[in-house]
Amino acid sequence: MIRTLLTLLVLSVLCGPGLAEETVCLQCHGGQEGRLGAPVALWKTSVHAANGISCHDCHGGDPTDFGTAMDPDKGFIGAPEYEEVPAFCGRCHLGVREDYSSSAHGKALNRGGAQCVVCHGNHAVQEASIDLINEKSCSRCHSYERAAKVKKAIAQTEVNLQQLEDQLVELHRVGIDTQKISGQLFASRNDFRRLFHTVNVEKMEASTAGFATRLSKIESQIQTIKNELSQRKMIGGLVVLLLVIGGCIAMLIRKSYHEEE
Amino acid sequence: MNLPKLAVDWLDNRLGIKDLIHQNMGGYLLPRNVNIWYTMGAVLMALFGLQFLTGILLLVYYVPDTEKAFASVTAIMNEVPYGWLFRYLHVVGSNLIIIFMLLHMMSVLFMGSYKRPRELTWVSGFTLLNLGMVFCLTGYLLPWSQLSFWATTVATDAAGAIPFVGDFLVSFLRGGPSVGAATLGRFFALHVMILPLGLMGLVGFHLFCVRRAGISQPPFGKDYKPRTFGPGFEHEHHPDGVPFHPNYTIKDLSMTFFALAALVAISFYAPWIFIPPEALVPADPFVTPEHIKPEWYFLWAYQTLKIFPSKLLGLAAQGAAMTFIALLPFIDRGPERRPFKRPLFLTCYLLGILLFVGLSIWGHFS
Amino acid sequence: MSETSATNQQRRTFLGILLGGVGATLGAVFAWPVFRFLAPRETGGAGSLVRVAKKDVQVGGAFFFNYKGHPAVVLQPKAGDYIALTAVCTHLGCIVKWVNEKGEFLCPCHGGRFSATGQVLGGPPPRPLETYSVKIEETDLVVG
Repeated sequence: MIRTLLTLLVLSVLCGPGLAEETVCLQCHGGQEGRLGAPVALWKTSVHAANGISCHDCHGGDPTDFGTAMDPDKGFIGAPEYEEVPAFCGRCHLGVREDYSSSAHGKALNRGGAQCVVCHGNHAVQEASIDLINEKSCSRCHSYERAAKVKKAIAQTEVNLQQLEDQLVELHRVGIDTQKISGQLFASRNDFRRLFHTVNVEKMEASTAGFATRLSKIESQIQTIKNELSQRKMIGGLVVLLLVIGGCIAMLIRKSYHEEE
Repeated sequence: MNLPKLAVDWLDNRLGIKDLIHQNMGGYLLPRNVNIWYTMGAVLMALFGLQFLTGILLLVYYVPDTEKAFASVTAIMNEVPYGWLFRYLHVVGSNLIIIFMLLHMMSVLFMGSYKRPRELTWVSGFTLLNLGMVFCLTGYLLPWSQLSFWATTVATDAAGAIPFVGDFLVSFLRGGPSVGAATLGRFFALHVMILPLGLMGLVGFHLFCVRRAGISQPPFGKDYKPRTFGPGFEHEHHPDGVPFHPNYTIKDLSMTFFALAALVAISFYAPWIFIPPEALVPADPFVTPEHIKPEWYFLWAYQTLKIFPSKLLGLAAQGAAMTFIALLPFIDRGPERRPFKRPLFLTCYLLGILLFVGLSIWGHFS
Repeated sequence: MSETSATNQQRRTFLGILLGGVGATLGAVFAWPVFRFLAPRETGGAGSLVRVAKKDVQVGGAFFFNYKGHPAVVLQPKAGDYIALTAVCTHLGCIVKWVNEKGEFLCPCHGGRFSATGQVLGGPPPRPLETYSVKIEETDLVVG
């Protein structure tokens, strides 16, 4: 599982942004009004767009040719039906789909159970965050009580994940190669997020300890790097001090000559 | 038996080094009121020396290949022991060199030291400044990051505005229609071989000119009188002066220490002020990063190009300004060097600095 | 020459020694990273055990591989009998060749000859080739 996710991550990093060129989908729909044009603007704000996932990556078709862009023979899929959405998104989000299917939401799919876009939205999909679980959203379908329990169960781990991600961004900014640690964190985050989709509090609580160990391992790696960085600064400070002292001594020698000139 | 003395005597018999050292050190008399700006040359020499050293070290692990360059720089920064140190010293050092070159040039302008008989010292110095900037331009392509790729694309693209030969010039600079492996090859050769050789030769010439004409009397104090030079060669002697060594070498050394302290401090505490985020992303020829800006010392040129309605006019304006500065000693020929007796020059000088700073700030925020 | 000049001279000597000390310290502080930068890095014992697939080593044949950064060779003189040796000639460091017909090693540089067990048969090599232990597993040989 981790390996698949890592491969996906690497692939999306390597060839991701390259895909987000002006496809024929965007050229045509970008100029249309209403229902046909709206998704383009929405998509541009999305996490998919930011990672180079374009129309044809989900809807299929040929993004290079106006004639066959929407040809079912080229794999074009229009808007999926309500019940088809989990399968539609799950082509890429495999793990989440699996855990979602076993959840109360997933089992109730045919009876109007919540699917992906109910919570995440469709074209303007944003990076998932714990804030998606809120009273307004959940109580559209059921009482918030149970959702609040789920939220509480994942809150601490989500906070930890976010903090680690922020720290990695900081380290990358100062020139540290964070690719390997980022991969580990990405894998942990995905395992955790797919687990959340079971919306099963007992299951989540049972595996929280396991995730805590995984995250603390990542944290200790980050800490090692940070310690080295602060050690560097200390040594650098000493060298600067020595150089300034050297400069001052030379200045004093210069002064002694100046007195004689 | 005194071995060092024997060695010196042996060399002296063959090369006459004792005389040579005396003439250029203890017996070389400089004006008594030489100020702190006269140490800029020594500081620059030290910084260039350090660039050579760190550059050679980086060359040991750097791979000039579009597929491997970014990874090799990442490895230098993360895996090779102290690789980060030498890379940061090299990056920060290059920026400090530009700063000190500009300070050197500004002090020479302010004191009118570029005037006859020092025209060639000025021209070689100005050429060195430009060489320094080409060094920087070729240097930051090498890590093959987004910054490298797009900065080079934009910089080489500017040449396209030149009539008739523009397109050819752009592809000649790039070694192809767009920036790619061929560009990396030629920029690498320029950066590690051609430019260093050129720089060494030109620094040698610059020092020769300085030594030959003699150190200029700072144009300050009530005793200062502008000096006129006859048609023949005349060395500016200072018979009642102070020996270069040790009286002024120690001052050079002191300033060098302070400059190195600044270099090390920035390298350890804030190297990223010279390394924008785009420099941490591998080059991607299909995605132009937003808000890409040239390095601070090119911002004025960048903004000039944006102001003028056509690129050609912008380039022409830049070219004219640069040519004017290069040929300044041939245009401004009066013997007066005291800044406050040259109101026109001083006004232009201050306006020029304001223009440079203003354009740079405008360029930064535009 | 006044008194101030004499005290100045003393002061300069003292300051000069201090400056020399600072300079020497800085020199050492800079030289150490340069040394570490250029020094070969520890591989952390990696490569001290090398796996070779059994199928690569034919009976009577030789298989060359890399062991701890140097070329090495495995032979199978009789079925199920494996010998691993260094392939670096003990004379001047050239890589020996396996001559199948004669069942011996020949060094192409100066004609040194070694037996299949690494003993010197002739030529200039001063010492036999070093042998490594071989552990036989199901499909692989573990050398080292």
